[in-house]
Amino acid sequence: MGYTPELKELIKRVEATRPERVAMARRNEHYPALSMAERKEVLSKFHPDYQEDAKKTVRVGPNKGDVFQETVANLLESRSVIRPEKVDLQRIDQETDVLVIGGGGAGTSAAIMAADAGCKVIIANKLRHGDSNTIMAEGGIQAATQECDSPYYHYLDTIGGGHFSNQRDLVAALAKDAPLSIAWLESLGMMFNKYEDGRTVVRHCGGSSRKRLQSAGDMTGAEIMRVIRDEARNRQDMITVMEFSPAVELLLDSEGKCSGAILFNMETREYSIIKAKAVVMATGGFGRLHVKGFATTNHYGATMDGVVMAYRAGVGNQSLHSTQYHPTGVSYPEQNVGLLITEKVRGLGAHVLNIDGEQFCFPLEPRDVESAELIQEAMAKGKGIITPTGRVGLWLDSPMIEELHGPGTVRKELPAKFIQFERHGIDISKEPMLVYPTLHYQNGGINVDGNTFTQLPGLFGAGEVIGGVHGENRLMGNSLQDIITFGRRAGKSAGEYINGGVEIKDLSLDHVVKFEKELAEAGIAEPMIAPILLPDYSTDEVAANRWPEAVSA
Amino acid sequence: MCETNTTKPDFKVATGDRAILPEGAKTIPIYVMGKKYEVPETLTIMKAMEYAGFQFLRGAGCRGGICGACPTVYRMAGDYKLHFGLACQTVVEPEMYLAQIPFFPANRASYDIKDMSAAADAIHALYPEVFRCVACNLCTKACPMDVKVMDYIAAIKQGQIEKAARISFDCIQCGLCSSRCMGEIPQYHIAQLARRVFARYIQPQAEHLRKRAEDIEAGKYDQMLDDLSSMDKDALEKCYVEGREREPDMAEPGSWQPQETKYL
Amino acid sequence: MKISYYPGCTLKYKAKNLETAALASLDALGIEVEEMDRWNCCGAVFSLANDDLIHMVGPVRNLLRAKEQGAEAIVTLCSMCYNTLARANLLMKNDPVKRDTINRFMDDEIDYFGEVEVYHFLNLIKNEIGWEAVQEKVKTPLTDLKVASYYGCTLQRPEEVGIEPIGKFSLMNELFSTLGAEIVTFDGADKCCGSYQVMCEEIGDNNAAAKVLSAASTNGAEALVTSCPLCEFNLGKQQDALLDKGRITETLPTLYFTQLLAISLGIASEELGLELNDAQVAQLLESKKLLVAA
Repeated sequence: MGYTPELKELIKRVEATRPERVAMARRNEHYPALSMAERKEVLSKFHPDYQEDAKKTVRVGPNKGDVFQETVANLLESRSVIRPEKVDLQRIDQETDVLVIGGGGAGTSAAIMAADAGCKVIIANKLRHGDSNTIMAEGGIQAATQECDSPYYHYLDTIGGGHFSNQRDLVAALAKDAPLSIAWLESLGMMFNKYEDGRTVVRHCGGSSRKRLQSAGDMTGAEIMRVIRDEARNRQDMITVMEFSPAVELLLDSEGKCSGAILFNMETREYSIIKAKAVVMATGGFGRLHVKGFATTNHYGATMDGVVMAYRAGVGNQSLHSTQYHPTGVSYPEQNVGLLITEKVRGLGAHVLNIDGEQFCFPLEPRDVESAELIQEAMAKGKGIITPTGRVGLWLDSPMIEELHGPGTVRKELPAKFIQFERHGIDISKEPMLVYPTLHYQNGGINVDGNTFTQLPGLFGAGEVIGGVHGENRLMGNSLQDIITFGRRAGKSAGEYINGGVEIKDLSLDHVVKFEKELAEAGIAEPMIAPILLPDYSTDEVAANRWPEAVSA
Repeated sequence: MCETNTTKPDFKVATGDRAILPEGAKTIPIYVMGKKYEVPETLTIMKAMEYAGFQFLRGAGCRGGICGACPTVYRMAGDYKLHFGLACQTVVEPEMYLAQIPFFPANRASYDIKDMSAAADAIHALYPEVFRCVACNLCTKACPMDVKVMDYIAAIKQGQIEKAARISFDCIQCGLCSSRCMGEIPQYHIAQLARRVFARYIQPQAEHLRKRAEDIEAGKYDQMLDDLSSMDKDALEKCYVEGREREPDMAEPGSWQPQETKYL
Repeated sequence: MKISYYPGCTLKYKAKNLETAALASLDALGIEVEEMDRWNCCGAVFSLANDDLIHMVGPVRNLLRAKEQGAEAIVTLCSMCYNTLARANLLMKNDPVKRDTINRFMDDEIDYFGEVEVYHFLNLIKNEIGWEAVQEKVKTPLTDLKVASYYGCTLQRPEEVGIEPIGKFSLMNELFSTLGAEIVTFDGADKCCGSYQVMCEEIGDNNAAAKVLSAASTNGAEALVTSCPLCEFNLGKQQDALLDKGRITETLPTLYFTQLLAISLGIASEELGLELNDAQVAQLLESKKLLVAA
C-alpha cells in the first residue's frame, strides 16, 4: 500500500529541502541544540512527565501527597469492583501454596522457581499465558558474562543510567543474578545467539561500558517467553495456569498477611476466591493507560492492575511519576503505530522535519527533550502531518542517510526496520518515516527489597510492576533481566517463606473497606473502578450509540 | 481510559490506539463473520474492528505482531483463495470476509528437558503423529510469519533437529498451521521441543558463562557490590564518571581487557 | 548434467550408513550430485487420503523442487523412494488430467510436467559411468566374496518404472561382477522381505524374510546385498530372532550395495557406517581382508 497520494505530495516538500540540509550536514553544521534553560522550558511545557497541568496529587494511601500523572493518580485513588461486605469469604474456590498474578516473564519464572521449592502454584493470567511486554522485547538481555566485564560494572552502568535514583539493593541483585539468569535460560534450552564454541554473542547498548547485551535473533523476549512457558507447561503437576482470569483484589487474613486474591473469569463473568500462602505480584506495566493520549509499545493488558491492588493493601510505590517515552515511535503505517524506531536512525544523520520539510530541533537531544520538541511542533505549532487514520506525525528523513553514507546504508544498518516498512510498501531508503513519541515503560512501581519482599507479609513483587530497579531511567536490556532476576527471586523467596511455616487465618477484605473509607474522608466522591483490566477503544460515535443515558445496565 | 491530550490542537487526531475517521478520509466495507461494517481504509483488521465497536477479549495481545493472539483467516469476495494473517498486522481491504481464530486445540506432549538427548528418537516417541505428514504444505501456506512449516516437520522426520530449530525460529505459536493440517500434527509444539533440544543438547553450552556463574555462586562479587551500595552518591558518581573504560565496539569477543582489572 | 540428490527420510537418520557410503562412492567415481535444499517425504508412507492423488503431492513437490533448482535429473538410493518418485513422475508426464489437478492443487508452487528424469543410483552408475569405467576405479576387488543380489519388490514393480524387467537381475549382478565378486543366484531375489509386516508382527515371525535368507544361504551366498533400508532391516537385523524361532538355520551377513561399492573403491572402513549393520558383516569383511583403514 505505501504512502497515500496526499502523503506523497507532502514528501515532495521534504525532498525540496533535502539538498540544502544534506549540504549543511556535510559541512558538519547542525540545527542548534537547546541551552539548558531552553531544555527546561520545553520539558516543562511539553514533556508529559514535566507538565504540571495534567498532574495530580494523590490524596489517599501510602503515596499520599505525591504527584503523579492524572491517569495514574486516578487509578491510585480508585475503588474496588468488589463490595466487601457482600462477599462470602468462607466459600473458598481453590487453595494453593503460591498464587502468581500475571503470567509474563517474571510471573512464569517465579512459578517455576516456586515449584522447584516444592510449592503448588496457580498462575492467574488476564489474557493468555505469556501475553505480556516480555514477549515484545526485541533487543536483548543484559548480563555481565564476558571476562572483561563483571557485576560491578553492570551495577555502575545501571545506577548511573538511572541518575542514581535507583534502589541500591535491587541494582546489586540485578547485577549479581544476571549471569545466573542467562545460565538458567541456557539450561532450559533457550536459543541464544552464539559463536561456534558456545560463547554468547554480546553487543553494547546505550549507557553500557562493556558489551553485555545477549540476544536471540531480534525476538529475545519472545524466545525467553516461549521457553519458560513451555517449561511451566511441563510441570502441570505443580503449576496450574488460569487464563482470562485476572485478579481484581488481594485477600489478607485476620493477621494482615497476604493470603490470596479474588479472580474474575472474564468470559463467564464469575468471581472466585483463591486462598494462597503467598502471592507474587507480576502484572507488568501501564502503557495501555495511554497517558496523555500517547500511543504505546505495550501489550493489550498493560493497565497497572498490580499497583492498584497492592496500593489498597498498603504497599506504596517509588518512581511511579517517571515514564519512559521514546521520541520516535511509528505513526504510519497503522499496523506499526507505537512501535519503536531506534535512535540509531538519527545517529546516522536523519533529520526530524515538520510538514513543510523544515528542521525544528537538534535530532540528538536527550530522549525526554527530543520527545517534548516533537510534541511542541505538532501540537502547539500545528506543524505535524495528519495520517489517513487521523494520527499526527513528523518526518524522520531516513533517505538522507543514503546521501550521507552512500547507497545501501539504510538496508545494511537498519535491516529489521527496512523489512518492517518494506512489508507495507514503504522503502525507507527512498521515503521518510512518520514518527511521534510513544509510551514505552513504567519506570517506577511497588516497593520491594532485594529479595522481592514487600512490606506486606506474604506479598512478593517482580518485573515491571516493581519500582526502584531502574530509578528514573532504564537502560536497554535491563527490563528483560529484571523479569528473570526478580521473577526467580520472587519464586524462591515465596518458597522459603512458605517452607518456614505459614498458617492462613480467616480471609479478610478489611483493607478494602479501610481504603474506601479513606477515599470518602478525602472527599473523593466518584472514584473510578479499578483494575480496569482492558482498554476500551470504541469511538465516540459508537459509545454514544450505546445510549449510555437511555439504557440502564 | 484513553485520555485526550491536554495540549489539544484544533483538529481531530487519533490518540492512544483509538482510531478515528479523519475528515475527507474514505471508508470501505468489510465483513466480520459475514456481517458488513464500514471502516476507514488503511486500518489494521484489529483496529478496524475496534473502530466498528468490537472490544476484544480473546484475539488481541501484543498488537505488534509477535504474540500470536490474533490469527485471522479471510477471503476476498469472488476469490477461492484462503488468506491468513495477524489481525494486528494485516490492513483491511474492501470486500474482505474475515473470521478470527484466537485459539485452536493442539496435542502437546509433556516431557522433562533433562531426559532428552541430541537424538531425534525421543521427539518421534513424544509426537508419533509427525509421520502423518503428507507434505500437502497447507501449514506453510497458513503461516502468518512465513515460516516454512512443512520443511521443519520434514527435518524433524529426518532427525535433523538443528535444521528444524533454525527454520522454525520465527514461530509465534498462533496455531494456524495446526488448524490446517491433514495429519492433525501440532507443528508448533513439536518445533518448540526441537528448539529446546537443539539449544540444550546440540548447540555448545557457554563455557565463560559457566565460570562466571561459579564465581558468583562462590560469592566473589558480593563485597564489591556491598561496597558500591554503601557509597554516598558523590563517590558513586565519581566511580561512574571516572571508573568505566568502554570496551571498544570492534573488540573481538572475549579478548579485550581493561586497564583496571580488580573488579573483574 | 546437473544432478540433484534426493536422500529420503530414512537415509538421513536410521540408514545413514547407506548414504555415507553412496556419497563417498559417487565422489570417488567423480559424479557430482547436490543434495536438494528443500525436500520432503518421497510419499511412500502417505496413507491418509482416500483419493489417491494426494499421495502424489509429496513426490511431485520433490520433483518440482529439483526443477526449480535447474536440475535435469534426480537420483535416490532407496528403492521405495525411487519407486514413488518414478511413479509420480510418470503420472505427471503421461496423464494430463491428473497432472492438471495436481498442479492446480499445488498452486503455491511452479507447474510441473514430468521434465526431471528420476534415477535410481544403480541406473545412474550404469548410464553415466558404465561398468568399464567403474572397473578402472576398483582398488579392492571383492575377490572370493560370494554375493547374492536382493532386489525386493519395488525396484522392478510396476514394470513401467522398473529399473529392469521382472526376473532379470543384471544391474546389481553386473555391478558386483565388475567389483570382482562371485555372483550367487537364488530363487527369492525379487520376493518380498516382509515389508511393513514388521510393524505388526513380533520380531522373529517374519517368514518372508526367513525364506529369502534360507534360499540365498542354501545356494552358497556369503553376503546378501540390498538396496532398501526396510529390506535391510527385515533381512539383516532380525536374524538372531529368526534363528531362535527355528525359521532359519544359519545367519547371512546383509549389507547395502553402496557399502560394497565403497569397499571396492578403496574407501576407508570408517566411512562405511558398519557399526549400524549387524556385527557379522564387519566380521565377514575382515575375514576376507576387504577393509582398509583411513
